[in-house]
Amino acid sequence: MDMTTFIFRNQTVEPFFGDVGVTYSGYGDISQLPADVDRYIWCYQVPINADNRQLAQEILSYRDKLDLLLANIDPHKPLIVFSLVNFFPLRLTGDEVSVDQAVMEFNRHAAAIAAKNPHVKWVDFSEFTSRYDLDSLINWKYYLMSQTLLNPKLAHDFKAWWSGVERELTLQRKKCLVLDLDNTLWGGVLGEDGIDGIKLGGDYPGNAFSYWQKALLQLAHHGVILAVCSKNNEADVQEAWDKNPFMALKREHFSSLRINWQDKATNIRDIAEELNIGLDSMVFIDDNPAERELVKQMLPQVEVPDFPEKPYLILPFFKSLVERYFRIYAVTDEDRLKTQQYRANALRRSQQARFADLDSYLKSLSMELEIIPADEYNLPRIAQMTQKTNQFNLTTRRYTEADVQQRIDEGWRVYCMSVKDRFGESGITGTIFFEPLDWDKMGIDSLLLSCRILGKGLEDAFVGTLFNQLRRDGVRRIVADYIPTAKNGQTADFYDRMGMTCISVNEDGTKHYELALEEPIEIKDYYNIRML
Amino acid sequence: MNLNDKVLAIMSEVFGLEEVSTDVSQKNCERWDSLRHLTLASELEDAFDIELEPEEIAVMTDFSRVIEMLNSKLN
Repeated sequence: MDMTTFIFRNQTVEPFFGDVGVTYSGYGDISQLPADVDRYIWCYQVPINADNRQLAQEILSYRDKLDLLLANIDPHKPLIVFSLVNFFPLRLTGDEVSVDQAVMEFNRHAAAIAAKNPHVKWVDFSEFTSRYDLDSLINWKYYLMSQTLLNPKLAHDFKAWWSGVERELTLQRKKCLVLDLDNTLWGGVLGEDGIDGIKLGGDYPGNAFSYWQKALLQLAHHGVILAVCSKNNEADVQEAWDKNPFMALKREHFSSLRINWQDKATNIRDIAEELNIGLDSMVFIDDNPAERELVKQMLPQVEVPDFPEKPYLILPFFKSLVERYFRIYAVTDEDRLKTQQYRANALRRSQQARFADLDSYLKSLSMELEIIPADEYNLPRIAQMTQKTNQFNLTTRRYTEADVQQRIDEGWRVYCMSVKDRFGESGITGTIFFEPLDWDKMGIDSLLLSCRILGKGLEDAFVGTLFNQLRRDGVRRIVADYIPTAKNGQTADFYDRMGMTCISVNEDGTKHYELALEEPIEIKDYYNIRML
Repeated sequence: MNLNDKVLAIMSEVFGLEEVSTDVSQKNCERWDSLRHLTLASELEDAFDIELEPEEIAVMTDFSRVIEMLNSKLN
């Protein structure tokens, strides 16, 4: 498959989605909306934060981010939204439910968006996570080493589950369920066991078939057409419908009947004609593998799932049937009204937290930047960042602590940046190396930001502030290079955005830039910046 | 399959490369980045039924160090 996907995420999810045709946003970053992909996935996870109030607020902000995203992406491209699952519920008191409520609100909102927008699909992630106990969902070692919250050991299982979901997402919803009778809608054979001898209601296995019939009735109430295709005597079946008290599905629930001794492929074709629906909107259920095989061979457009041999497995079978073929995210008028009321209340409650565009969103974050010259305390972190940062890294030069110290001793000016916003502190997450080239000229040897803080325009504020500082110190000319790598494509036009002029491009794609520091650079007023 | 071959097979899977040779290191292999390094550690843990500590994962920067680490864990 050549489909390309862009994934919005707030944690490391590369082990699960891989790197073939997939690119990723920065952590929590929605400012980059690549247009040259075929679809988008939103896969956020509930972060680890012991401050439940702050965490609940952050989760509610995802809802707003999702709205903002929805308003800005191409509605012709699918957006698949994962529901949130809290892997690490941490309740300091027994009645603390703010985080659970925020998770529920996000999920409700995402499902409502999916119901209203045909290009948005909602994926219930708990279908996957509920297979595991909470302890195995997180591997703390890998979380703390790489911010991979979902246990990377589950990657193989996840890929299998996800490819199933992807198949379902592309499947057309089916309209009609064609059912066999003997050993399918009840246990036993009507013609041999008689009306009272068939297994329906009462103890096992009759209770399994009873549940199954009631569940199918619900499907019929939700608009799925039911039909019967059975080798039987129609009079016997009618009598069973009339007389067996446990029969939840009766004659009137079926839109079409083919109870005869003809082959089932012909019967199903007849049913399709009678109902005026396509064969590709039909699902056929039969306990007999030979009948299933015949229909599969003769009518490949019809979906023919395997029916469980054990009646006690009918219940999960029904669930998978719904999930694979019939789940419709349609919302009734009443539901819609409820959703609206709910939204209005939520809006009033969190007026202060809402925003209309990216600028006001950024403003709402109350961002604080500290710009700190390299010193003995932050030097190890600066060197480590040069080693590890790949995406937002203009030159990708790797340095050891000793390398950095040596350059500082030679008169280089090395700064780092520490960032904080209302959702917490990110610590030292950016660095820049200025190399003196002439009495009024500096070169940017290295510039990088950790990807977990991208999408907030911090790079502009960081570099802009330092340019202004250098200007005050008498520097008039700045030169800088962008050296392309497999990973740093997103920084290719960073210096253009900073108003620098590209003066030449090498064969390997390296771009050389120049800037005359004449006027001070304007910096958005929503960054609270401190130079130390 | 001997240890070397088994590790090379895991590496080529993790790095998404057709072939990996025994002189592979984080320095000379672009695909061996920090994220795949952890995937590699996780795969090795599963394949050999061992636990690797973060400090141990950190020093497995080339093929021979990986083998060395595995030998110390397996013996």
